Amino acid sequence: MSAIRVSGVDVTFTTASGPIQALSDVALDIPEGQFCVLIGPSGCGKSTLLRVIADLQAPDRGGVRVFGGDPAEARKARRISFVFQEATLLPWRSVIDNIRLPLQVGNWKSVGRPYRDPNELVQMVGLGGRESALPHQLSGGQRQRVAIARALVTRPDVLLMDEPFGALDEITREHLNEEMLNIWQETGTTVVFVTHSLSEAAFLGQSVAVMAAHPGRMSKVINLDGEKPAGTIDRSSSKFFDITSDLRRHLEAAEGMA
Amino acid sequence: MMTILRPVLGLLSLVLAWALAVWVFNVPNYISPGPLGVAKAFVTNSDVLFKNLVPTMEAAVGGFLIGNLAAICLATVFVHWSRVREIYLPVAVFFNTIPIIALAPVLILIFGLGITSKIMVSAIVCFFPMLVNMIRGFESVSLSELELMRVMSASRREVFFRLRLPRSVPFLFAALRISATASVIGAIVAEWIGAELGLGVLIIQTTFDYRTELLYAAIAMSSLLALLMFTIVVVAETFIVRWRTS
Repeated sequence: MSAIRVSGVDVTFTTASGPIQALSDVALDIPEGQFCVLIGPSGCGKSTLLRVIADLQAPDRGGVRVFGGDPAEARKARRISFVFQEATLLPWRSVIDNIRLPLQVGNWKSVGRPYRDPNELVQMVGLGGRESALPHQLSGGQRQRVAIARALVTRPDVLLMDEPFGALDEITREHLNEEMLNIWQETGTTVVFVTHSLSEAAFLGQSVAVMAAHPGRMSKVINLDGEKPAGTIDRSSSKFFDITSDLRRHLEAAEGMA
Repeated sequence: MMTILRPVLGLLSLVLAWALAVWVFNVPNYISPGPLGVAKAFVTNSDVLFKNLVPTMEAAVGGFLIGNLAAICLATVFVHWSRVREIYLPVAVFFNTIPIIALAPVLILIFGLGITSKIMVSAIVCFFPMLVNMIRGFESVSLSELELMRVMSASRREVFFRLRLPRSVPFLFAALRISATASVIGAIVAEWIGAELGLGVLIIQTTFDYRTELLYAAIAMSSLLALLMFTIVVVAETFIVRWRTS
């Protein structure tokens, strides 16, 4: 069963300088449990696509199904979690209280699904002992870890991530990429991950959807399942180099079409 | 320690300059007494001063509470119903252009010479800064914070109590600092126009009677009252707001 099915989606933004077509006839099919990376030049609408799936942006045309239903239903049933580029932690709440937030709003009690223990999540994202720290006392990488823990507390069926590590330094980013793969393998949740980093896409993606800009559209979906039988890949291997070069070629082709 | 010491030094230097000016220019006592004379008048007239402090303090504290509370409630309404805000916020801005000294006699005509009119004047002075600050505070939430709440399907009520209200707390205290001192001004202005007892009454009477030392002592007393209220707000803020925006 496909977790997310996008077909023929158009999104147009009206700006002061006229309408801008952010997405044009976009189709994408993501099977349940897959780690799908969206990559493309800036302005290709990859974030917009993510927001359409999350019911944060209504498409002008076309259909989006999340587990066969309306995205709004999936959102209200609390099956979707979203991680933003900024951690978006509430600065007056401690680490543990930020992670608890999703369980305190949006009718969580009547949704009544099993959830994860916030204390365990703190351990899992490597912040054991920092439960009562306030966000301004944490580093950028630590804040993003809290944001990921907060997204996981509801055991979401779909985890949408909009350039979550884009503002972090290279080393922290690689660490978090490894942790992200572990989390995905442990939870089995469907992940849609937006990035503009080729190596991040090559490292994380089970499938990589390459998008093109002006107007934003789907260029090619590359399946990497066969390339990474164990789900992970060594960044210094020649295979990783090959995947990255292949992605670069597709990305350049997509940019050339514009 | 130095942070307290330096302003104290600054104040002392001005008091010294005042004493010097009175002495050098040989200013008569009924025009301006020296700091020592005022201090003496403060001690010898302490019963008169405290008797007049109580009604002013009641009016200032009452106006402070009522004006701020009303402003917070109205800001809450404005942030939830933008149509109501479009209709009434400009009206509030218009009313704010009326000088309080011009509005005070009207309120005294309506509410009489008792404490009610004094509280009303003081409340009106506190109202507008709090209204403007709280609207800004409630709206200081970021787009991604609102989207986070939406992905979690949070209700408007939850967005208000879990996000907007805590977000607005620094703005709340910024307005409270203003109204802590403004409420005392409001109470004294009302007492000028008409009251039986209070620091404002004392200020007017001593001015007319050329009891300048007592006048200065009354001024010092009203300043101490405002300082006390301001300090309470600042101390409360350091206990309540422990977070910072990163």
